[in-house]
Amino acid sequence: MATRKKTPAIELKALTKRYGIGDAEHNALDEVDLRIEKGEFVTIMGPSGCGKTTLLNILGLLDRSDDGEYYLDGKSVERLSGSQHARIRSEQIGIVFQSFNLINRLNVVENVALPLTYSGMRKYKRLEAASAILKNFHLSEREYYMPWQLSGGQMQRVAIARALVNNPSIILADEPTGNLDSRSSHVIMEELSELHQRGNTIIMVTHNPNLTSYATRIIKMLDGRIDSDTGNPTLPPPMTEKIPLGKSAPTIRKRRHKSTAAQPVSSRKRSKR
Amino acid sequence: MRRPLVFEHISMAYDSLRATRSRTLLTVLGVTIGVASVTTILALSFGVSRIISHQVESIGGNIAVVRPRLPEHGTSSLSDYVVQQSFSTSTLTEKDYAAIASIPGVEAAAPIMTITGSPKTKLASLKSNVVFATTPSFLQTVNLPLREGQFIDSITNINTAVIGGQLAVDLFGTEVPIGQTFELRGQTFTVIGILQRTNDPVNYNNVDFDRAIILSLESGKLFNNGISQLQQINIRAKDNDSLGRIVQATDTILAKNHSGEQDYIILHGSQVADPTSQLFRSVAGVLTAIAAISLVVGGIGIMNIMLVGVAERTREIGLRKAVGASNTNIVSQFMTESLIISLVGGLAGVAVGYLAALIASTFFAFRPAFTWWIVAIGIGIALIVGLVFGLYPAIRAARKNPIESLRQYH
Repeated sequence: MATRKKTPAIELKALTKRYGIGDAEHNALDEVDLRIEKGEFVTIMGPSGCGKTTLLNILGLLDRSDDGEYYLDGKSVERLSGSQHARIRSEQIGIVFQSFNLINRLNVVENVALPLTYSGMRKYKRLEAASAILKNFHLSEREYYMPWQLSGGQMQRVAIARALVNNPSIILADEPTGNLDSRSSHVIMEELSELHQRGNTIIMVTHNPNLTSYATRIIKMLDGRIDSDTGNPTLPPPMTEKIPLGKSAPTIRKRRHKSTAAQPVSSRKRSKR
Repeated sequence: MRRPLVFEHISMAYDSLRATRSRTLLTVLGVTIGVASVTTILALSFGVSRIISHQVESIGGNIAVVRPRLPEHGTSSLSDYVVQQSFSTSTLTEKDYAAIASIPGVEAAAPIMTITGSPKTKLASLKSNVVFATTPSFLQTVNLPLREGQFIDSITNINTAVIGGQLAVDLFGTEVPIGQTFELRGQTFTVIGILQRTNDPVNYNNVDFDRAIILSLESGKLFNNGISQLQQINIRAKDNDSLGRIVQATDTILAKNHSGEQDYIILHGSQVADPTSQLFRSVAGVLTAIAAISLVVGGIGIMNIMLVGVAERTREIGLRKAVGASNTNIVSQFMTESLIISLVGGLAGVAVGYLAALIASTFFAFRPAFTWWIVAIGIGIALIVGLVFGLYPAIRAARKNPIESLRQYH
């Protein structure tokens, strides 16, 4: 039962991202510290402009921070070049978008195989791997369909399959159910939940508070900082929460623990691993 | 080890070009026209110079030619309404010829004097025909087979002539009018030889031998008050090594004879085949300029279409970057598309260019030259155009911010 220090999937230290110039400058991300272990299902929420999308972009190596450090799987990514970032994106990161972003010119299996193109796999091997994944998603009958022949929910499932095809360390999802109706949303969230149970690390950004029940950890952001984090009890009380006058701090802390559905990961003692 | 993505890019490029088929074809057309113009010009002009090179070679090479130098300063003859050098008098004389002929190493030398005359026979009367006065040694400097009879020589009468195959028919109605006579500039000449028909009026003597009258130099002098005024002196060296030395010696002799005035030029080797006509050069220059302009326009067409393609595929580019394409990958992908367009355009252009050259050559009397290096130049130019004009859109594509690109339709 010795608690070994595991390499976290993601570690952020004082991450800062600035936008604008002169007096219009503001911090999209303001000295964010974050640590996400492997196997977590994290939801990031917050009002518009809080920086959650910026955070996701930086996590997905689509953007660079201005200050601070980002360790992916224990390795720092700051000093890596653009093409090295691209390599990591192709091999270690899978992204699911709100608007699915499938290429209309390619059919389903070619779409799913896309990330493997940039890992240098031969064409038939790629299509084989893509086909295998699609089988797991029960989409085999639609392998040769074109994206415009699929429903919204099916397209998003294809996108999730694409995110998985290169066996990534982390899966990032930016409002994956934003363009879907409630039934398809449910299907997608079940899909993500199943992936999580198989051991994948998932980080999801969403507006919808109904979706938080699938996650193991909920992070709320405000104005570029992490406001509350069910996985991190050391944070100061969130700005969004009303602080009644006259009450003391410990009471507030207790209240925070009770308000979330799942227990935070870091406080759980694991017998295995 | 990552496999090189070249084949991937080629198949991806092929797919995306096929998706916008008609647009692609129009762009290819632009390149085709540019390359076709270049190919036509090169094929035709090289066709001409190759004929002359062949003629020089068929005599065994080692030919040098002395001609009067064209005036260089003054208004360019492109703007001259009347070309100046057609009136310049040549100062080459028999004395020069005699001196050259006695240079050691010279196998044969021949003076050439051309005048205009109107030959008359009972059957026909031709105006302004070429009359070519030279010495018997002329045959040693050019490959001019006789069909019947003999060439002029030192023994025959001064009033004898050798005529071209076509002229024979025109004047006498028969292909072999040996022994018949015609009148020229008040003198009567007997035909003692007929030249075999050549199909190339292009030669380094600038004379259409099918229609020429060849007289002895003495006859020519008679028509010019006894003065021989030579348009050209042909020199044949014994071998290639002595050619250089002979050219030097010729230069010295002529400089001395002409009191230091270098009003002559000595051409040897491949220079003999260069076009001397200012008109030819002007036409070639204009056509080359047109070809260059059309290539630039074709390139701009490529750039334009690629920019449109990049704008249309912003989303796709953003997505590819999100799943792991590096900037280099994106640039390579779009450059591959551009190069495919230009390669196809280049191949089509070379084909169309040769077709055009063949059609054009029916109006001229020579055939266009089919060489590998003309094809290579055509395709090479097309590829360079594709490279240069495809680079900017490709870099534009790669520089796009994936976040911005993917946000477009939110």
